[in-house]
Amino acid sequence: MKHKGPLITLLAGLAVAAVLLVLSMNATNSSKTNTAGNAAPDGAVTVTLSAAPLVSSPPKTAAPTTATAAAQATYAGSTNGGAASIAIAVRDGKAVAYLCDGNRTEAWLQGTATGGQLNLTGAREARLTGTYDAAAAKGTVVAGGRTWTFSVVQVKAPSGLYRASATVRGAQVVGGWIVVNGKTVGITTVDGEPGPASAIDTSTGQTTLAGEPVTATPVDGSGL
Amino acid sequence: MTVDPPTVPTIDRSAAKLLVPVAVGCAVSLAIGVYAKVHTPTGIAVNVAGFSSPQTVKVWLATGAFLFAIAQLVSALVMYGKWPGVRAPSWIGMFHRWSGRIAFLLAVPVAMHCLYALGFSSYDTRTLAHSLLGCAFFGAFTVKMLSLRKSGLPGWALPLLGGLVFAGLTGLWLTSSLWFFTTSGITF
Repeated sequence: MKHKGPLITLLAGLAVAAVLLVLSMNATNSSKTNTAGNAAPDGAVTVTLSAAPLVSSPPKTAAPTTATAAAQATYAGSTNGGAASIAIAVRDGKAVAYLCDGNRTEAWLQGTATGGQLNLTGAREARLTGTYDAAAAKGTVVAGGRTWTFSVVQVKAPSGLYRASATVRGAQVVGGWIVVNGKTVGITTVDGEPGPASAIDTSTGQTTLAGEPVTATPVDGSGL
Repeated sequence: MTVDPPTVPTIDRSAAKLLVPVAVGCAVSLAIGVYAKVHTPTGIAVNVAGFSSPQTVKVWLATGAFLFAIAQLVSALVMYGKWPGVRAPSWIGMFHRWSGRIAFLLAVPVAMHCLYALGFSSYDTRTLAHSLLGCAFFGAFTVKMLSLRKSGLPGWALPLLGGLVFAGLTGLWLTSSLWFFTTSGITF
């Protein structure tokens, strides 16, 4: 006579997991806040919802946070070591971040900023995790197979994150600029190929993309 | 003088009964790990009302699970007569089973949130350890549950498996809830 109890326990766990998965999928679909969207062409990160997990388990947990984090804020500065710049704009639980070394490496990321925890993803497996509060944001960002750590403070306009995108002669052109205390770092990508960015007038947003005059806009965390 | 044939050691094959449960448990761990790695984390999942954030929900569910896990350890020690001066009461088996079930069921939503919203993570030692432990824990739990249905297992089997499950959950709690409490304070 075999005991059924343990099996029932396992199946109950599986059932709870299945119900939560369905609820989570609905939550994700309805709030559309799912991850990664992003400017760079190859974007289109589809959330893979197939493959129901077995019992379930997981990685990563809780989030950190201290005090109250601002509902809307932009954090910007150099990554640790100074190799690149990063800007993170947070608004109402959502966040947009831009990592840029002004030369070849850049990544746009989108995700969530809740409970003091940053969790963003971008094209080509770019990811950012970290913490933020009213004064500063810090964490780790992975892009292009490299990892940077950062600890940056909140900045006020005209410092911040700017972005412009346009289709120029059939090519998708996207420019990103991180401005901190009058110092600007930027990259313009043409169909995903990074290159130098033009200067930007932060008071008007005037700049050029692939020779075409455009107006860049300040990025807040609500999306790209 | 006749010498004892019984001294020829009979090969103890009772441990072989663990093979199937262990294989299934490994498959569970692997499946969870692969899903966590392949699935694109959404950053959000279904939330539970009454807490300030999904993180605090998880922290407290996990803490609840951990407390029941301690009850598991104590009741197991009592059952096996390893708690000095305490004789196992008749209800101890029932208590052990139900505290275990509750611990497991508390851990499942936490794990689902981790899996669905966050995925397998290796940013630092803590998240890597937590990810690996999470996969291992549910595999070990599966082995333990399936082993309970086998009779004639070696005496060390259930204490070993139970110990692994307890150690796994403890590690998970330390790398998540305790870390949260130390970085964010005790919040609800």
